Amino acid sequence: MNKILKIENLTKNFGSISAVSNVNLEVEEGTIHSVIGPNGAGKSTFFNMISGVIPPSNGSVHYKDKDITGFESYKLPHMGIAKCFQITNVFPKLTVRENVWASIFSCSHKSKIDLFKSMNDFKTIDKDTENIISDVGLSHKIDDKAEELSHGQQRMLEMAITLGAKPDLLLLDEPTQGLAPEATVEMTELIRKLSKNYTILLIEHKMHIVMEISKIITVLNFGEKIEEGTPKQIKNSKKVQDAYLGRK
Amino acid sequence: MMKNKYSFIALIIFLFVGPFLFPNATIAEMLIFGIVAISTNIMLGYTGMLSFGQALFFGTSAYISGLMLLGGFPLFLAIPVATFGSFIISLFIGYFCVKREGLYFICLTFAFNQMFYFIAYVWHDVTGGEDGLVGVERPAYIDTQLTFYIFTAIMFLFAVIALYKIVTSPLGLIFKLIRENASRAEAIGYNVRFYKLISFSIASTFTGLAGSLYVLIHSMVPIDQIHWLKSGDIIFMTLFGGVGSFLGPLIGVVGYIWLSDTFSIIWARWPLIMGVIFAIVVLYFRGGVSELLENLFKKYKSISKKTEHEQNIKNRKLN
Amino acid sequence: MTFLIISQILNGLGLGMLYALVGVGLTLILGVLNIPNFAHGVLYALGAYLAFTIANLTGSFYFAMFLSPLLVVLVGFLLESQGVRRLYHAHHDYQLLFLFACALIIQEIIIIIWGPIGFSLLPPPSLSGAVDLGFLIYPKYRLVLICFALFMIVCLYLFLTKTNLGAILRAGIENRDMVKVLGINVNVVFLYTFGLGAYLAGLAGALSAPIMGLTPSMGLDILPICFVVVVVAGLGSIPGAIIAGILIGLSQGAATIWFPEATNVVIYVMMGLTIIFRPQGLFGVR
Repeated sequence: MNKILKIENLTKNFGSISAVSNVNLEVEEGTIHSVIGPNGAGKSTFFNMISGVIPPSNGSVHYKDKDITGFESYKLPHMGIAKCFQITNVFPKLTVRENVWASIFSCSHKSKIDLFKSMNDFKTIDKDTENIISDVGLSHKIDDKAEELSHGQQRMLEMAITLGAKPDLLLLDEPTQGLAPEATVEMTELIRKLSKNYTILLIEHKMHIVMEISKIITVLNFGEKIEEGTPKQIKNSKKVQDAYLGRK
Repeated sequence: MMKNKYSFIALIIFLFVGPFLFPNATIAEMLIFGIVAISTNIMLGYTGMLSFGQALFFGTSAYISGLMLLGGFPLFLAIPVATFGSFIISLFIGYFCVKREGLYFICLTFAFNQMFYFIAYVWHDVTGGEDGLVGVERPAYIDTQLTFYIFTAIMFLFAVIALYKIVTSPLGLIFKLIRENASRAEAIGYNVRFYKLISFSIASTFTGLAGSLYVLIHSMVPIDQIHWLKSGDIIFMTLFGGVGSFLGPLIGVVGYIWLSDTFSIIWARWPLIMGVIFAIVVLYFRGGVSELLENLFKKYKSISKKTEHEQNIKNRKLN
Repeated sequence: MTFLIISQILNGLGLGMLYALVGVGLTLILGVLNIPNFAHGVLYALGAYLAFTIANLTGSFYFAMFLSPLLVVLVGFLLESQGVRRLYHAHHDYQLLFLFACALIIQEIIIIIWGPIGFSLLPPPSLSGAVDLGFLIYPKYRLVLICFALFMIVCLYLFLTKTNLGAILRAGIENRDMVKVLGINVNVVFLYTFGLGAYLAGLAGALSAPIMGLTPSMGLDILPICFVVVVVAGLGSIPGAIIAGILIGLSQGAATIWFPEATNVVIYVMMGLTIIFRPQGLFGVR
């Protein structure tokens, strides 16, 4: 099996406190790999280190055998890694179409000359934009401004922007955060559908979603990896139960 | 799209009517500062970066083109060289400035502006220091009022079209992404610092182009064209017109130059009146003139729609 | 030669103290209120002109030095409460433009009241003349200025570190939202901060009058220097602003000896060196 992402001894210290310490993790191509853990387990720090927002104190991240440790975050989409944010993070005053178009353009333009062409010269990007928007079910809102969408729709748009980069690996940071129950179901379905085409590293707080869709689950607690395995193994793990119930 | 079409028609009409409304030097100044304000808006309105040092590029370029004309070089060499000069300077200064955001960016651009001012001030032998650079002559072929106006109008149109191309290209969209949400733009693969530098450079280069033309109006470069007060004027003209639309800043330029020309004849302390106008605009009409007009237009439209609707109801009743 | 060097360095030190005072004032306003105070320079000028008029009317130099900065504070209060306060939620563009407009207005009012020609304000007899330092004869007023500015800086330091309001101001620079969370009336804090900044500008202006004289453009000239002080110091650092102000003054003093024509450019050379070798400023963290 092909390991698309290899993380070795990843560590982040804030002063004398270590938020993440010595985490090892390998993501297999074509699967959903989830990272879970109780609040304050260091999930966000872990995510931000992989996605280039904060540089790690120690350890390395390899993507397709390339060392990408501490790469600036704008370089990652060009290598095939795209991320989706925990909080809704779109371009509010731009239309849905522009939001997604910009994302596709970012990774598909070949030379800087394209920057100065007319917006009408990119027929394939226009088409891709419409396809992705219809995939997330926002076709009827395509010319509305992002700020005019409902919260759930903005999350879908967020996902569409992420997909615009045409990534091989998707990093999803709590995609169901703050969604209503029906929207959560919708999002879970979308992730399941996406897993047919993408490898997904999912950071999630809600246990039942993770159990439902992941192939492998890694559990973090107090910045350390305490367990890893299939959903079934995790369900029966004593260590995980203790961590979630706050027992030491 | 429709809105832009109307504005461009209005622009063309203005180019034909303008020379009859304003004195020759005034209309030329309006067009030249029009280039400055529209290009500054690329940075200010589209990318969301506030530079307080645009007079640096305007003034430096005016000096370069003035000195070349004095040195006997043809105008069609002086303009490109001066413009290119501002481009190079903008890359250099921008490299240091775009690393910083918000207030620090303002402080840096402001301080750089004053650095260049003092260089011009001290370097008396070359720039004329406090007296300004004088004695620049217009080439014979643009020496009549008509030919000079046609020349500035062509340069103005060239700049406006080039800037419009940029705004409607993917680059323009990227600028808006940065204004809206810089960290998300970074996350989808745009090197924000690089594009900020491009935006800064585009604004500064076109401001430089305008500066190189400015020297032709009064055949001189007064030193206050590079003083930081000029940078303040440039920001005001841009905001006064409204940063929400492409041609909005032009309204600000026309208004500003017309007002300052009018007041400066009446009262030597006219900057006081300008200051009061600035303050009122900021406190009460923050969207600038173009937004004010747009709102009035919308209101008018909704009223006419309403009356149309009432008319329809009446008609139906009659039927 | 040595005498010349020492006296120029002392001159530079005096100048540097003035820069430190205005620079700290600007730093407070930038740091706590997060607005670019382009009216800072004219407040400095106003301090000088008011001191000049009060000294002439009352005949007391000391009273003028006491009263004029306080009047500048009133102007500062007026600016903050009537204009700036409405703009905290607006973009920097509009804040800047408003303060720029205020600068123009006050600048022109100064010219209307006092005329476009400069004045000089003489120090009182008790402070004029020179002191023999043993190795050097140096103007008394300049020496007193250095000591007094130092005293004010120490007072300011004590105020910021030992009093409650000082602690709130420092917390505000670190993290503006925290002040709101602490349940403090933000409007009052902002008003006082602007007032304190205006006081320091007015005081520096008044103190500078006997050395540098009064010209209508003095406010426009000092403003870029204030901003350079902030850039060299690092945005929001008060000790940085003090040290950067003094350094800039000293380097100007030194430049007077060797390159008299470059005294104004040397300020920007310092700034250039800072941003090349230490882009966050000498004491900047952000």
